[in-house]
Amino acid sequence: MPKKPLEEGYFVIHDDGSSALLGSYSKAADHYYFPIRKQCPITEEPVETVELPTEGILYSWTYIHMPVMGATEMGYGGHGVGQIDLPNGVRVQANITGKEGDWKIGMKMKLDLQPVIKKGETEYCTFCFSPA
Amino acid sequence: MIDDVYVIGVGMHPFQRVSPPMRDMAYTAGKAALDDAGIKFRDVGELYNGYLGGNLLEGISYAKDFGLNNASITHVENASATGSTAFREAVRAVRSGDCEIAMALGFDDMMKMGMSMMKMMSGEAPKIDSIILPAGFFAMWATRRMYEQGTTVETFAKIAAKNWNHARFNPYAQRQSKTEVTVEEILASSPVAYPHTSKMACAAGGGAACAIVTTKKMAQKLANGRPLVKVIGSQSKSEHYTDGHIFMGAVVGPADLTTRTTQALYEQSGVGPKDVSFVHVHDAFPIEELMYYELMGFCGEGEGDRLVAEGATSLGGRIPFSPDGGLIARGHPGGPTGLAQVWDTVTQLRGEAGKRQVEGARNGMVHMMGAGSICVMHMLQKEG
Repeated sequence: MPKKPLEEGYFVIHDDGSSALLGSYSKAADHYYFPIRKQCPITEEPVETVELPTEGILYSWTYIHMPVMGATEMGYGGHGVGQIDLPNGVRVQANITGKEGDWKIGMKMKLDLQPVIKKGETEYCTFCFSPA
Repeated sequence: MIDDVYVIGVGMHPFQRVSPPMRDMAYTAGKAALDDAGIKFRDVGELYNGYLGGNLLEGISYAKDFGLNNASITHVENASATGSTAFREAVRAVRSGDCEIAMALGFDDMMKMGMSMMKMMSGEAPKIDSIILPAGFFAMWATRRMYEQGTTVETFAKIAAKNWNHARFNPYAQRQSKTEVTVEEILASSPVAYPHTSKMACAAGGGAACAIVTTKKMAQKLANGRPLVKVIGSQSKSEHYTDGHIFMGAVVGPADLTTRTTQALYEQSGVGPKDVSFVHVHDAFPIEELMYYELMGFCGEGEGDRLVAEGATSLGGRIPFSPDGGLIARGHPGGPTGLAQVWDTVTQLRGEAGKRQVEGARNGMVHMMGAGSICVMHMLQKEG
């Protein structure tokens, strides 16, 4: 089933099915940010849009005892949320796949896609991270 | 230091899970504050209505219940820091000389606001760029803390139990347990977001609170034999970029935000952690309160657990936190919470807090966070 981002501007899905988060790079501050910024939040100078690394380290996690967004598509129960540090200094907060007990601070995580809602033959996804 | 702003009246409507109409709660709290001050609404020059859940015209139409007095009326919204911001605006109105008496009124019913959350969960496609459940966000603070400092779930439960038990002496608190609340009871309540349980989470409901400020000259005229309560510091700050800054999905910004705002408040007021008698913080979850012990300078980094173990932040301890029960047990409807903190602070400084009285209270500090995020703090001092 074809996959598309739930909303444009946060991540891309390439033709080969791989994905990457979209962020900003500020040359003036030599900093990366997620999501895309309109200008550098430190220097207020222009930024350029870049694809961010697809792997990182789990900084923190929790298991929320409520269905993830789009509950009718995703089922019931709880879901994991984590904060992942990418190697370029960006910290991303995202759903994480797995169940309580699967996650440890410091473990490697990789970018993944999570279906949210189906419209016709297309599956609209958000991004998430999974244990690498 | 702020030189000439005093709180002359405070009032509350009980915080409760099932609330009467917001209009009735707003009137109750506002009228109580006016009566406490010994004034009429016609004496008020500026009114700041703080609420999240009402429609555009709610605040201005409720104001007419007090009278039609030609006052300046403004709707204030700053997420959970709404009431604190309404208070800050009232302080500024008097400080600037724009009026002699200003009123800050907060009211909300979070149970009615919750319907929009349920709609999102029912299948309408949500937005990627939206905050996660606050319980989840603060839970990640907690998990990281456990990893870095070895803090246990029991420590979080002790803080929650402390606040539940403080609320037993607050007639306006939402969670007034008839019996002592134990750590075991907190831990046994249903899980919300690891490591948080439902009794660690701030109580969701409705309520209202009001504070009225004026000049020293007017405060002395209206004192009626009671100690004067002076506003000696008012600070409001938004995020500053820090390493690991999360721009999307976070409920509030980095811990640094509280540190910066607190430092500015200490400098402005001339009062430091050693001089503060008690503190109200944004204790949506116990991890927050624990972190604020350290971020506000009441102990060193990593030493907050020791304060809990010693009972230092309980009523009767060295530096009571959340003497009225805090967000966890007094409750947290968005609009009035910051003003409920002011209500308890004034009551404490006047020596009228009954069983939850902090002995020798002289300086009370209040702190609220607003999602997005903002930190709003005040320092109040008993004069004389």
